[in-house]
Amino acid sequence: MKKFAKSRFNFLSLALLALSASANAQQYDLLDLSAQPLNNEVCATCHGGAGVGNASVGGPSLAGLEPWYLRKQLENFRAGIRGTQKEYIPGNEMQASVARLSDEEISELVDHISNWEAVAPKPRIEGDASKGQALYAACAACHGASGDGNEALGAPGLAGRNDWYMFRQLKLFQSGFRGKHPEDTAGQLMRPAAQALENDEAINDVLAYINTL
Amino acid sequence: MKKIVSRRELLGLIAKTGASGAVLGAGNALGIVPNTYVDIPQIPQANPSDRPSVVILGAGISGLTAAYEMKKAGYHVVVLEAAGRAGGRSLTVRHGDLIDEVGNPQICEFDDEPHMYFNCGPARIPSSHRNVLHYCKELGVELEVFINENKETYIQDDAMLDGKPIKNREFTTNARGFMAEIMAKNFTNAELDEPFDEWETEALMRVIRNMGDLSEDMIYKGSTRGGYSHGGFLEHGHALETIALRDLLKTGLFSMALGQNEGETGPILFQPVGGMDQIVKGFLRQLPEEVFYNVMVTSVMLQDGGVEVVYEHKGMKYKIEADYCFNSIPSHLMTGIENNFPDDYREAMHYIRRGEAYKSAFQAKERFWEKDDIFGGISWTNQPIEQIWYPPHGMYKEKGVILSAYNYGGGMHFTQLTQEERIETALRQGEKVHPNYRNLVEKGITIAWHRMNHMLGCSARWQKSRSGFTQEEERLFQTLRKPAGNHYTIGDQITKHTAWQESAILSAHWAINDMLSRKAGGSMPGQRV
Ligand SMILES: Cc1cc2nc3c(=O)[nH]c(=O)nc-3n(C[C@H](O)[C@H](O)[C@H](O)COP(=O)(O)OP(=O)(O)OC[C@H]3O[C@@H](n4cnc5c(N)ncnc54)[C@H](O)[C@@H]3O)c2cc1C
Ligand code: HEC
Ligand code: HEC
Repeated sequence: MKKFAKSRFNFLSLALLALSASANAQQYDLLDLSAQPLNNEVCATCHGGAGVGNASVGGPSLAGLEPWYLRKQLENFRAGIRGTQKEYIPGNEMQASVARLSDEEISELVDHISNWEAVAPKPRIEGDASKGQALYAACAACHGASGDGNEALGAPGLAGRNDWYMFRQLKLFQSGFRGKHPEDTAGQLMRPAAQALENDEAINDVLAYINTL
Repeated sequence: MKKIVSRRELLGLIAKTGASGAVLGAGNALGIVPNTYVDIPQIPQANPSDRPSVVILGAGISGLTAAYEMKKAGYHVVVLEAAGRAGGRSLTVRHGDLIDEVGNPQICEFDDEPHMYFNCGPARIPSSHRNVLHYCKELGVELEVFINENKETYIQDDAMLDGKPIKNREFTTNARGFMAEIMAKNFTNAELDEPFDEWETEALMRVIRNMGDLSEDMIYKGSTRGGYSHGGFLEHGHALETIALRDLLKTGLFSMALGQNEGETGPILFQPVGGMDQIVKGFLRQLPEEVFYNVMVTSVMLQDGGVEVVYEHKGMKYKIEADYCFNSIPSHLMTGIENNFPDDYREAMHYIRRGEAYKSAFQAKERFWEKDDIFGGISWTNQPIEQIWYPPHGMYKEKGVILSAYNYGGGMHFTQLTQEERIETALRQGEKVHPNYRNLVEKGITIAWHRMNHMLGCSARWQKSRSGFTQEEERLFQTLRKPAGNHYTIGDQITKHTAWQESAILSAHWAINDMLSRKAGGSMPGQRV
């Protein structure tokens, strides 16, 4: 019945012994901020383990994002092009999280995160995928017929993204919280397409279709 | 005399005026103030050659309780903690400590002295929280009294008396005086649903008169209970000028001024000497090898007869399997961690919302409040900082740490400000309570629980309405409390009384007891999958 069978037990203690000595000792010592590890452990609090996304705190999945798009968005948040409106708390929190990153750190993160395997998210939105298919025709020009994106246009892949997150982004594009900043040329390209979706039902429909891609 | 106040109404009236002792007892009887008892799980000692293994996620109070009790019984326990420190929300900061807010890390710069600390999360232990106190005793954590209500503190409201702060004693005396007068007057002409006899009536009138310090004709004409303007010892004391009820009514802080020693903060309150995290340190003394830091759990998988947990440390992944998993990771973070929990279990985790508590503090260059007769207690203001707490320890030392803002229910106002704005706001608003405040304090720190790393919230919010758990909420709660396979969710998040350490401890006890009864083939036949 015991699951810590000898072999596992050993594995555990070997893997952890080295770590426990140092980690335990420094617990209440002065912590050096510059020594804070900057890797997934910072991002995962909001984006979930291995970047699978976490709707409860608003962080979308990162696994599977194209490196060029990932870099662009990190730069956008850092520059305050995205996420500065106080009224929109999730954006705010993301903005604050990366506002102090250096170029090197962004490069490191992009390298690191691009290696994660995309995990198919659970659909959370209900809509009419067949109506959505018709609506998606307007998106395909930029995001590709199979939703795998188009780097030349700056349009990311949409297949395999969290639908709840995309819902929110489309609302943000509509309201101008995203895609209105004078330096956000890619966002400006996207905004009219979001505005063309007439209501939430249309958004749900197109997302239901994207979920099938 | 015609009789007018029913017993029930009287109780209600007295409750509102802060004659709290009488009502607290009654409230207790009605179960309004939760009472707990100490009933530590009796875990049969494990066979050394066949020790059950338990992996505990999160080294907060609930995780440490579970680890401590099961280790005592000879189980093999391992605690995985994402942060570089144990304690979770039980965070006390001192000189040099990190406040790990996402995007706004701070290092505390208070003077390096034992009394110069700040309890960023829990700060008070009601004497009714017997399990917390039990562990304090067992773990050798020294306690001292925490002063919550102090009539020498201030009530300040921009809408009252042109924003001038007044002492709580002045406020309370005048408020009670006028209310007693109103009660006395009404006593002559209202209807009773349960009449008093003459003797009772007289006794009641005495109580009312006494409560408000009324004159013989049952009129409130001011009282020296609110303090003296001058004199008192060698000379006759002169009462402070009476403040009109009309003026007092302009503030919404009535219950704060009159009723602080009620409900959860009604019993005597304690704090550990030297900071709340002394409890955490007490547990850690008993768990010198068991807790691992900077290990972030990224996957929790139920298996046949056990649980497999994957975690990351410095970019490396590790896997560990155990018979049981006790998981205190906040539910809103657990939803982002890979798992194979049953759908209803996940649904319940998704349902809980997170809180937004905000606290901040300054180091005071001198204990200016002591010159104003304030030793401990809370000043209340209608401004967003809401409260100023004076340390109940370190009396007459040179400096002290003063709480400069505390908003438990809605801290987003502050959370969204930059560090500089947060500090400036606390100074500007504190100045309305203490003139020259700005020059008396320094080295501000802020704690926005909504953004604290590995926490992102202050406490679980189950109820959408104030009127209690809906049936649906009750169903979700019961679902999440039950084990999924050999996995238990623990923490104050899975109790009906969140945001108290007592609840965190009790949740661990509940889970251990449930595990034991299942082992014994007891109340929970079979396994949920
Ligand atoms: C502002 C404030 C004031 C309070 N005041 C009081 C008070 O006066 N008195 C009182 O008794 N209580 C008070 N409380 C409540 C008390 O702090 C909590 O009830 C108690 O500390 C909760 O303990 P816990 O073990 O349930 O959870 P936590 O302390 O939240 O522990 C959860 C742990 O899980 C860790 N974790 C998170 N993600 C991961 C991961 N992926 N992998 C591994 N570990 C992870 C966290 O770092 C944390 O250590 C207050 C709380 C707050 C925020
Ligand atoms: C405090 C929580 C939090 C932390 C920490 C955090 N993020 Fe985010 N992140 C968010 C939220 C919320 C969003 C969605 C913002 C929105 O809705 O506009 C987001 C959005 C993003 C996006 C945009 C995704 C897209 O499809 O456009 C990227 C990229 C990203 N985060 C990367 C990171 C990285 C890398 C880190 C670690 C350095 C990190 N985040 C840390 C909360 C966080
Ligand atoms: C003219 C080209 C164009 C069209 C048409 C278009 N998009 Fe976009 N879309 C973009 C670009 C460019 C971006 C990236 C914006 C940025 O960099 O911030 C984007 C971003 C998005 C995002 C945000 C992704 C993320 O990870 O944050 C969503 C969701 C989205 N588009 C959905 C749609 C949908 C649905 C349609 C059709 C209704 C559509 N788009 C049509 C160009 C387009």
